[in-house]
Amino acid sequence: MKFQIPIGPQHPALKEPISLRMTVEGEVIRDVDIRLGYNHRGLEKLAEERSFIQNIYLTERICGICSHSHTTCFVQGVEKLMELAPPRRGMYIRYLVSELERVHSHLLWLGVAGHEAGFDSFFMYTWRDREVVMDLLELISGNRVHYAMNTVGGVRRDLDEGQKAKILEGIAVLRKRSEYYFKIGANEPSFVARIAGVGLLTKEQAVSLCAVGPTARASSITRDVRKEDPYAVYDEMDFEVGTADSCDVLGRVVVRVKELLESYKIIEQIVRKLPEGPIVVKAPRKAKPNEVVSRYEAPRGENIHYIKSNGSEKPERLKVRAPTLANYPATIEMLRNGFIADIPLIFAAIDPCICCAERTVTLVNYRSGEETTVRLSDLRRRAAERQKNAPPKRNAVWPF
Amino acid sequence: MSDADIIQRIQQDLGGRAIEVTNPDRRRIFVKVNPAELLSAVTLLRDKYDCRYLATISGLDKGETFEILYHFASPAANINVRTEVPRASPHVESITPVIPGAVLYERELQDMFGLVIDHIPDPRPLVVPDDWPAGNYPLRKDWKYERPEEIIPGGKS
Repeated sequence: MKFQIPIGPQHPALKEPISLRMTVEGEVIRDVDIRLGYNHRGLEKLAEERSFIQNIYLTERICGICSHSHTTCFVQGVEKLMELAPPRRGMYIRYLVSELERVHSHLLWLGVAGHEAGFDSFFMYTWRDREVVMDLLELISGNRVHYAMNTVGGVRRDLDEGQKAKILEGIAVLRKRSEYYFKIGANEPSFVARIAGVGLLTKEQAVSLCAVGPTARASSITRDVRKEDPYAVYDEMDFEVGTADSCDVLGRVVVRVKELLESYKIIEQIVRKLPEGPIVVKAPRKAKPNEVVSRYEAPRGENIHYIKSNGSEKPERLKVRAPTLANYPATIEMLRNGFIADIPLIFAAIDPCICCAERTVTLVNYRSGEETTVRLSDLRRRAAERQKNAPPKRNAVWPF
Repeated sequence: MSDADIIQRIQQDLGGRAIEVTNPDRRRIFVKVNPAELLSAVTLLRDKYDCRYLATISGLDKGETFEILYHFASPAANINVRTEVPRASPHVESITPVIPGAVLYERELQDMFGLVIDHIPDPRPLVVPDDWPAGNYPLRKDWKYERPEEIIPGGKS
């Protein structure tokens, strides 16, 4: 007997509401269908009506977690169109905020992964430590979420010596904590057993479905825009691209922990090397007719903006591709032949932001048309039960 | 491999199929092809230039024509394939046989520009709602949103 389970459209795990319809046979997912567009805001059309400066604040509101990613991607494209060379101090501060944002996003995600796997003390630890980086962001920009740091031609706020010292202090704390996360898998074999082998995505699938970011890197693809197509300051920085070859949720955890440590390295280099000088240059209001493809490595993967100007102060076209969209086809493959109990874990693994705790899932019996509503807590209980019955994956090892 | 080398190789490999090759910025290469030769050009880029990762597809309303841009990224460069279809018959072949990950972007193009992607494996709407009126394509330049007049129960006093 086959059932269909709709998840969403009001899906608290994602900023954008999304509907997933899963065809299940027993506890095994056989097919997944995806439906988007429940909250399409028409932002690309709106951007054609706004000036370049107004669009910075529009793109900032594409996403809450990676707000700085979208503005940076947009602004570095517009600077190319206007043939501006922003001052180096401004660039350093811009990408300092980028890396701090990556740290806060990855810490948030690690906590969510721990929570979905039923390891709540890990969730408490990471979210406590995330406050350190949130405080640093507030110290730099005055805001915890929408930093509003970018402007065409540089950044809007400068750093002083006290702030630099505070950043280095905070990073030292975070590095110590992250090294503890490195060891946590070795102390907690049940956590590793829960996430190993879940949500498999082979390298071939990841390549053909154009997966991006940590999802792709966990399937041993070394694609990172910072390394592959170094923009702005990244060719002056010393860092590695973190990858894993286990192709599952464990690999995605490993990649993000590695990226955290690389980000600390980049942040320290930026703060230590911070050049003197102005932070912003005056930008013209209009851009000559031209086109630009701007790429940026956001915490969740590659972010790409295509901007075309027509000589006026408004863009002719702004195309935004956020990394989560690129990972949907891959998510379908990850969910296929998995268990219902693994849905929250796999879904969380592509890094949608879980902001609410409760969600409901309706089970529809297609023979009788009968519906049963399952709460998320119930889904988690099932997950715990499945773990009890399933033999622990003895070959799963923490790779550090 | 520098951009100039890649452009030279592309021009050799594609021959007459590459109508125009431009290089507006470092590591950014734009290749223009005819819609009929799109699939063969994409296949060649995938096999010989490692363009297996399609970042996205952008549509652009140019009045009489629609421009479609396929943004590929290879480790060597960012290669963008550009093609133009007439507004009167906006047909273009699906590239999903070559790049399976393109399906969501092609569905988005159908919704937003009213392009017809031939042989697309899944033609359902992606981003517009189920009750969206037919023939409304929001990203076309001549499309304007008209807010329906607000009706206040009881009327304004």
